[in-house]
Amino acid sequence: MAGVGTKSGVKYDARGLVEPDAEIPHVSEVDGKSARFDAGNLTTRQINLELRDLIYVQGMEDVTVVNPGSKNSLGVGILKRVNLTFEGSPGWFACGLIDGPQVRIKGRVGWALAENMMSGTVVVDANAGSLTCAAIRGGDVLVNGDVGARTGIDQKGGTIMVMGDVGINTGFMMQRGRQIIAGNAGDGLGDSMYDGTLYVGGTVASLGVDCVEGEWTDADTEFIERKYRIYDLGTPPTFQKFVCGKVLHNYDSLEPSERKLVL
Amino acid sequence: MADSTRTVSIDAEQLAGRRFPYQEDISLVEGIDLMAATPGDDLNWLEDIEMLTEDGYPAVFDRYSNSFLKIYFDVPSGRENEIARKVLVKHLQDGNSYGITLKEIHCKFPQVELGPWVAESKTIGTDYKPPVLEGWEAPSGH
Repeated sequence: MAGVGTKSGVKYDARGLVEPDAEIPHVSEVDGKSARFDAGNLTTRQINLELRDLIYVQGMEDVTVVNPGSKNSLGVGILKRVNLTFEGSPGWFACGLIDGPQVRIKGRVGWALAENMMSGTVVVDANAGSLTCAAIRGGDVLVNGDVGARTGIDQKGGTIMVMGDVGINTGFMMQRGRQIIAGNAGDGLGDSMYDGTLYVGGTVASLGVDCVEGEWTDADTEFIERKYRIYDLGTPPTFQKFVCGKVLHNYDSLEPSERKLVL
Repeated sequence: MADSTRTVSIDAEQLAGRRFPYQEDISLVEGIDLMAATPGDDLNWLEDIEMLTEDGYPAVFDRYSNSFLKIYFDVPSGRENEIARKVLVKHLQDGNSYGITLKEIHCKFPQVELGPWVAESKTIGTDYKPPVLEGWEAPSGH
């Protein structure tokens, strides 16, 4: 095919935008409503085509992807309740734009996990990169290791749980939702946040602009204990709560119409 | 609703062209099982859904059509968020959200017609054809 190049065995068109092969590979082993396939020799597009065929056309309820090979953009745009397991580590932008699936990643994951997620659950056994849950709108994401910088940037809902440490600018421009950080937080926590709640169990290197300590309530205790119980995380540590000081940005007085855009 | 009605808000009734029975009758939503309608072991995304006010009425925001769904019955005190969530889920399960009604024609890849709030839903988008405006031709050179 003219204008097609290769990189690491994966073909791209002349613009580098898309893999030319749009055929569903049909390589899964199917057992009732469960399916499993080895993604080691498949391209990103082939993997996602296989997933969509299994989930939407064949109606699988449990799908396992073996050897994801750190390829980018795996498991994106899945809009149905399904159990999806990655045995290995996906790359950047894994499970973005999902609405409903319950995902387990038995490995680590690159930048921008679950960006723009609408609903469902994502559980990562190890670490996640920067921009985890960028612009997430709903659902639960649990990272059992550490995460990089700007976790939950532009967060508009949902719950992000990190059992390890988080990097700089966590909760940057956060607008709604909640983050439970069991470890330490880097500089600029909650910088320029509009709303939402950040719980930190460890130390905070520094707070960002307009991020202040919040008053603890019984609802906070119920929320933390419920999430720890559901995800079998043991006994929660003592958390500090951080919220927006409402000095820098204020939807109600300055941007009443913009507030609707984050609902 | 009169055609001459003007509002700066985005109203689910206006998008659909009609009001829905469950906006006026609480008994139609009381039986909704919120836990069954959401993934995981708690309310998941519905945790962010709460009762709001729009044009002076209690209302719930439908993120799937970016519109407010007003509630006209008396909401029992202390159950505001629960009722808001039940009205929204009923709206979605019945396939009345305007964004969902557009999917059958416009979605470009296979997906479920409804969302994760129902156990089963038909698959659409398997045979997408771009809409063609009658009488329109592409400019020369395109």
